[in-house]
Amino acid sequence: MSIEDDEILQGFIEESLEHLADIENDLLAIEEGGADIDVELVNKVFRAAHSIKGGAGFMGLTVIQDLAHAAENVLGLIRSGKLVPNPDIINVLLLAADELQRLIEDVGNSNAVDISSHTTALNMIFENGEAPAGISKNPRPERAPVAPEAGAAEASAEEMTEPEPQFNAEIVEVIEEMPIDIEDEPMDEHDFETEHTAAAVEAAGTTARRAAASTQKTDTSIRVTVSLLDQLMNLAGELVLSRNQLLQTITSGDVRNAEAVGQRIDLVTSELQEAIMLTRMQPIGNVFNKFPRVVRDLSKKLGKQIDLTIVGKDVELDKTIIEAINDPLTHLIRNSVDHGIETPADRAKKGKDVRGLIVLKAYHAAGQVVIEISDDGKGLDGDMIAEAAVKKGLITADQAKVMSEKERINLILLPGFSTAREVTDVSGRGVGMDVVKTNLDQLGGSIEMDSEVGKGTTISIKLPLTLAIIPCQIVMTGGERYAIPQVNLEELLRIPAAKVKERVERVGDAEVVRLRGNLLPLIRMADVFGIDPTYYDPVQDETLPDRRRNVADRRSKSTPLFKDEDAPPAEPRSGEHDRKRSGVERRQSASSALNIVVVSTGAMKYGLIVDRLHDSEEIVIKPLGRHLQQCQGYAGATIMGDGRIALILDVSNIARMAGLTSLDGSERASELAEAAKEAITKSRDKQSLLTFSSSAHEHFGVPLNQVERVEKIKRQDIEEVGGRRVMQYRGGSLPLVSIDEVASVMPLDDRDDLLVIVFRLAGKDVGLLAIGPIDAIEVSADIDDITLKQPGIMGSAIIGSRTTMLVNIFEIMKISNPQWFEDHAAYAEIQADETQAPTILIVEDSNFFRNQVKGYMEEAGFNVIEAEDGRVAWNVLEQQGNDITMVVTDIEMPNMDGFTLTEKVKGDKRFQHMPVIALTTLAADEDIARGKAVGVDEYHIKLDKERLMESVHRYTKAAMAA
Amino acid sequence: MAESNKEMKSTTIELATFYVGHALCGMDILKVQEINKLMEMTKVPQAPDYMVGILNLRGQIVTIIDLGQKLGLGKVEISNESRNIIINAPGEHVGLLVSKISDVVMANPDRIEPAPANMSGIQGSFFTGVYKTENKLIGILDIKEVLRIESDNLGRGLER
Repeated sequence: MSIEDDEILQGFIEESLEHLADIENDLLAIEEGGADIDVELVNKVFRAAHSIKGGAGFMGLTVIQDLAHAAENVLGLIRSGKLVPNPDIINVLLLAADELQRLIEDVGNSNAVDISSHTTALNMIFENGEAPAGISKNPRPERAPVAPEAGAAEASAEEMTEPEPQFNAEIVEVIEEMPIDIEDEPMDEHDFETEHTAAAVEAAGTTARRAAASTQKTDTSIRVTVSLLDQLMNLAGELVLSRNQLLQTITSGDVRNAEAVGQRIDLVTSELQEAIMLTRMQPIGNVFNKFPRVVRDLSKKLGKQIDLTIVGKDVELDKTIIEAINDPLTHLIRNSVDHGIETPADRAKKGKDVRGLIVLKAYHAAGQVVIEISDDGKGLDGDMIAEAAVKKGLITADQAKVMSEKERINLILLPGFSTAREVTDVSGRGVGMDVVKTNLDQLGGSIEMDSEVGKGTTISIKLPLTLAIIPCQIVMTGGERYAIPQVNLEELLRIPAAKVKERVERVGDAEVVRLRGNLLPLIRMADVFGIDPTYYDPVQDETLPDRRRNVADRRSKSTPLFKDEDAPPAEPRSGEHDRKRSGVERRQSASSALNIVVVSTGAMKYGLIVDRLHDSEEIVIKPLGRHLQQCQGYAGATIMGDGRIALILDVSNIARMAGLTSLDGSERASELAEAAKEAITKSRDKQSLLTFSSSAHEHFGVPLNQVERVEKIKRQDIEEVGGRRVMQYRGGSLPLVSIDEVASVMPLDDRDDLLVIVFRLAGKDVGLLAIGPIDAIEVSADIDDITLKQPGIMGSAIIGSRTTMLVNIFEIMKISNPQWFEDHAAYAEIQADETQAPTILIVEDSNFFRNQVKGYMEEAGFNVIEAEDGRVAWNVLEQQGNDITMVVTDIEMPNMDGFTLTEKVKGDKRFQHMPVIALTTLAADEDIARGKAVGVDEYHIKLDKERLMESVHRYTKAAMAA
Repeated sequence: MAESNKEMKSTTIELATFYVGHALCGMDILKVQEINKLMEMTKVPQAPDYMVGILNLRGQIVTIIDLGQKLGLGKVEISNESRNIIINAPGEHVGLLVSKISDVVMANPDRIEPAPANMSGIQGSFFTGVYKTENKLIGILDIKEVLRIESDNLGRGLER
């Protein structure tokens, strides 16, 4: 077969597929018309079948020809009015059209396909005037295995090898070389050759088939109107002319003319760009047209009566988008049919029209295309959705309470949510709306749901017109520019230097910013990408290295970042830099302001800290080379106006790289932070606890400031290795313990959704297994450290009318993993005998805390003297001051507070060298400043045993040496 | 076989030679698309360390590899003499940053000898052979090997 023939075949395939695309909708229209036959329409379908038959006959595709012929016969009857089309007949015709489509898509093998079920059905209609029962129950007959018919196979083989000329050439080469080798072996040359060719043909056939399969999904060719091509040609000609002009201008050095030429080129290129974009545009009707059939078939199967109205078929979208929205749209339409519209009986009961209505609408709005799918079905019940979401642990009950109806409805888009009560084969196939959302996110689109119970649901999808050119926000970090796609951009935030302290806080190891009452997790771009941190100085217009590690710290809001400045520089730095530092205090200068790009990606939203914010620009996406495919933070690259390249950031991967796992993870963290903060500001001497459960009837709490993070995991995430439970966490293994391993409490509930509370002990992370509900509360309640005390439990308190056991995570770890602590300085015990051991005065009004701290100290081998307030402490010092090595004091106490005590201690000659550690829940700047002023040596957050013990060791050692 | 050898003898290949540090390397000139001295590269954080950055070559994004780093000879210093050799790799353009461009050498393929396992400290696997001229020794680069992605090492580093 020559290449010319191949082209004819290709033409036949394209034309036939176009015919078939129309046939489907026309048949549905005929069905609707019933006895009232639209001759024109029937004629059209008849002609389509006829031309497919003719073409197939010409190409020798007998099976296609036969099927088209049988269909044509039936259509002929309808046309002449001898047959009234009923749904059954139309069904048979539709199935035949489907089969034709399949055959034509795989033309090479079409002659070997068994189509007898279709032809028999069609012929029965032709002869008897009615459809046979049964055919509709078997809508997709299994294709008969390809018969090893010699003739057919050869024909197809010939066609298949055609598009692979290289392959042929290779075969020829092989065969030409053959005779040399074959001379040695007594082999029938002919046999060998045929065998070889047969294998090659088979191989070629496979590749062609694969190619055919892939073209089904994305067409590699596109139809463009000639007028558009002419326009492109014209513009290209214009561009060449302008170029010549430009070259001339440059040689002659005529500046005035250059301006004119520049403008001309500008104009021509923009027009050219638009025209080229147009070639990629296709009407959305290409996707919409298949839905009448989908709705018809589905509603029939479900026993519903549904009309589909389509508006805006002509709206054009980029080809890639058209192809990609097919699946999400199908899913949504099926959802509407399956779950949205009620059964006719239900509708009648509610006084609605028994026929349901689905409207599919596309239109332009604000430079985007909006697709709306609305139904007049039962609507979505926000309360039920919220309830289900709470039950699944996607949100908390408190969150649900404050949500608007619309927000609740949109919960349906959260991953892991599916409202279908039972899995049906129609739409509830285990994948839910979240998949639709993910698909749309990838396209840079968005989805929104609106619904009223009993009235119906409207889903709006917003899509960009094209993907090739996208508007982007340009930012700068580390002296390089980066582009952030505008679809991901929520807003730009600049926090002035003076406000940084107030608005940026630290939760565990994450930084957050306060934004209109919400906490937004922050990611420093430099950290994620491992760029040397820099900041931009607008006064000197240069980028300088930055040494700040934290933007904020909860312990002390004057934060390490500013403390840094007092400390001697860790490494020698340029004189220029030092001068700058001594000149303007950076914390006050504009350069210390934070530039934050608030981005959202599907379910999560975060702030990306960058050095500078630039303009927004329309950019062209270019792929990155193979060597950079593994760098996950980039979606591509683009060329900027000055010819340099800027990388395009992939905001969702950046979130992943920074360990920001999901919406609830970060939101929960923010809430806990909020609670913790409130606890600190509201009452100055209360303990914030994180409460959780481990079994249904026992409640536990741990001090919130010991908690690093709370993670949600599935049971299967837990691995049992070497007799211990671990899970993968930030690239390492996180050891897991449960309370029942150490304390005699009920065993951990056996359920799928577990929580892991992450602590940091002895320099390592450890996870405590727990179950919900978790909450952060503050307790001023009396803590009973006798009744329920046991290994791993430090005491109990009544919280919200429930007895809550307070977990001592240090003890749990010490019992379950004693070797952890052996080589850690903070836990090294004092080896000296009783008399020589340092004595520590603990001043604390709360019984509970005093006992806790005392426990820590005695455990480490120190002698301890207790005092319940400053006055008592002072008396103790007066009496036995010489025996006391150091003082650990609370700040808020009756009679005499910690500040006064410290002042007295430091003001007394006898004690002025005695170290004083303040142990407190207060950590505001002014408090720290005041503490420093009166001579506090160090501040510690209450019950951060780790740090406290480290500094106690340090100070006692120094004091003993003196 | 003997016949085909004779045929090859009559053909010579042209080697584009260049310096990477002090090592003289060469490659078949037909594989070179162009040589330029564009040094306005954009750094790519998190890229493998043998990557210098990416470059805009008339609208194409070109990945630039520091040949010195790749061969284990240390970083190529960017100077007036350093150049990018742009190679048309399958599906993309890749640039090799070298210290200095040298002559084009006509080479007789017969006289190309297998590369010793280590050639002045360079990993032998990057070379297909060495070619001796009167006074110089040219290491002939295996471009495929140079452009191969060490996906194992890289993949591990970037996981999670």
